[in-house]
Amino acid sequence: MTEHHRDNLSDELSAERLVETFRLTLDGKEHIVPIAAEETLLQAALAAGIDAPHNCTKGRCGSCMSKLRNGQISMASTQALSPRNKERGYVLACQSRPSSSVPIWLDFDF
Amino acid sequence: MEIGKIDSVWRYPVKGMRGEEVPHIYTSYTGLMGDRIYGVVAADGDPGHPWHTGRNQEEFLLYKANYQSSDKLLLPDNLDASYSEWEPGIDPLYPDSDAFKVTVETPDGVIYDDIEGGTFITDLEKLTGRSLRIHTTQRGIFDARPVSIFSLSAAAKLSEELNMDIDKRRFRANFYVAWNNQDDPFYENSLVGKTLKIGEWLEVVIVERDPRCTMITLDPDTAEATPKLLQHVSRKHDGDAGVFAAVLRRGRVNKGDSIFLK
Repeated sequence: MTEHHRDNLSDELSAERLVETFRLTLDGKEHIVPIAAEETLLQAALAAGIDAPHNCTKGRCGSCMSKLRNGQISMASTQALSPRNKERGYVLACQSRPSSSVPIWLDFDF
Repeated sequence: MEIGKIDSVWRYPVKGMRGEEVPHIYTSYTGLMGDRIYGVVAADGDPGHPWHTGRNQEEFLLYKANYQSSDKLLLPDNLDASYSEWEPGIDPLYPDSDAFKVTVETPDGVIYDDIEGGTFITDLEKLTGRSLRIHTTQRGIFDARPVSIFSLSAAAKLSEELNMDIDKRRFRANFYVAWNNQDDPFYENSLVGKTLKIGEWLEVVIVERDPRCTMITLDPDTAEATPKLLQHVSRKHDGDAGVFAAVLRRGRVNKGDSIFLK
């Protein structure tokens, strides 16, 4: 089942959005998460009430490491990602922002 | 009141590499003797945490580092004199730098007897593509606090919660402990702010819980990552596992020593 979140997201946040929503998988559940301009994927998930793993939110601890199964993002910091994890397509949700209009699928159950 | 016992004592000669269990150890105000004496610094590392570890190269965790004069690095020669003649205890004299030389063996069986002057760094640079150098100090390279403590009950409870075997060594503590308290598997969390006496001499104050990173995801025998462990710790345990301590009174600690709440 797919859950949709934050139906009342303010229109004022929509002007610079590359994507309106993204798909998030956690604990076997699928979520459709609205994301505002400049928000990270983690911020959007938490704002939607999703219990996404996280801790430092600075890209250092790696608690929010997840797999980007689709889409394109840019990360402000990748300190917690080893080269191997980068090759595997893992990202840090706390550092990730959409960088294209390609639909994003973020998987925490990787 | 006795609240538990020291199950095992561990130090990590090179930060990020495999640790070694020792039967006893001198613990100073700056941590366990011989703990994290060497570190590998990466030129492209985070300015706040420039160390090359398993976070950057998973197999680094499998490198074995052993002191060539290990027995000299358990108890300082003048430890007894420093106990008895000076209150509250003068930090004793450590051996000269030659005693701190380590031998490092890679997972592929390559052995380096001189990691400061030999080909160790050159080979590691080729392997990782990073610009690296060795940093050394006799008083330890710690991320946060000089002493870390983790309980066997916490490892067992995390194993139960995740339905997988969680090896205590993932948490790279100095002292693994067995608490007398059978009701709270994470009893160490309740000790923040409390002072403990360990064995005959050592006194520490538990200063805070230990916030965890990707290092705990790595299997200590294979370096295979299990990210769900860190996810679980972040969601169910506020991102923390184990506690940090600061040393109030230094001294010898033995495997099996009693731990008292002061």
